[in-house]
Amino acid sequence: MARVKRGVAAHRRHKRLLAQAAGRRGTRSKLVRPAREALFHALVYAYRDRKGRKRDMRRLWIERINAASRQHGLSYSRFIAGLKAAGVEVDRKVLADLAVREPAAFASMVQTAKTSFTS
Amino acid sequence: MKTYAVKASEIERQWWVVDAADLTLGRLATRIATLLEGKHKPTYSPHIDTGDHVVVINAARIRVTGNKLVQKRYYRHSGYPGGLKEESLQALMARKPELVIERAVKGMLPQNRIGRAMIKKLKVYGGPDHPHQAQQPVAAEL
Repeated sequence: MARVKRGVAAHRRHKRLLAQAAGRRGTRSKLVRPAREALFHALVYAYRDRKGRKRDMRRLWIERINAASRQHGLSYSRFIAGLKAAGVEVDRKVLADLAVREPAAFASMVQTAKTSFTS
Repeated sequence: MKTYAVKASEIERQWWVVDAADLTLGRLATRIATLLEGKHKPTYSPHIDTGDHVVVINAARIRVTGNKLVQKRYYRHSGYPGGLKEESLQALMARKPELVIERAVKGMLPQNRIGRAMIKKLKVYGGPDHPHQAQQPVAAEL
């Protein structure tokens, strides 16, 4: 059987690893060990932050809804409480989109929330 | 559906003018910070500065509660040994009243590159006049 030398396979592995490391700073893009460590960390951060992204987006929607409903004289918490009392189930993602793209529709949502308090 | 992200070309910046006379420092600063950050707009986006410009007049006539005029201190360091300078709010109000509001607002903005861009849109004047009539600032209700 032919003799297998390990250098060839190792070189290919390292080449593939360093190809992924392009654009990183310093030794992280040039040396195998720092590049591999940076890759492992990057995967962990990506996995973690895919979950964090859902929280970040919800925060952003709330900030936008707050800004839009305050323009109609209602704070975010009063607005959401009013919608809940009125039985409206439109979620924050859609509300934030309405606030940007359909200000008129959002205004009527605020009216719905306001009237649910008085009744 | 994709959440809206504002583009730099779509940002509309308004000019506001705020009369600081007889207003409380911290309460005034939060309102100014909101306008500078753009958090009063439904198009607010955290990756970019979406805020408005704010002109503050009568900065020399702000109020503080309690005994802060005497007790509140402002510190800075020159970098040399023993170079810690200390100044009371009263002294700073006499020397440069604009700095009081600028520092208070700066502390309420994000401490990053975007925050540093935001503070540049704040113009503070101790007296009742300002040179930004050309921008037609609207009086902000606080």
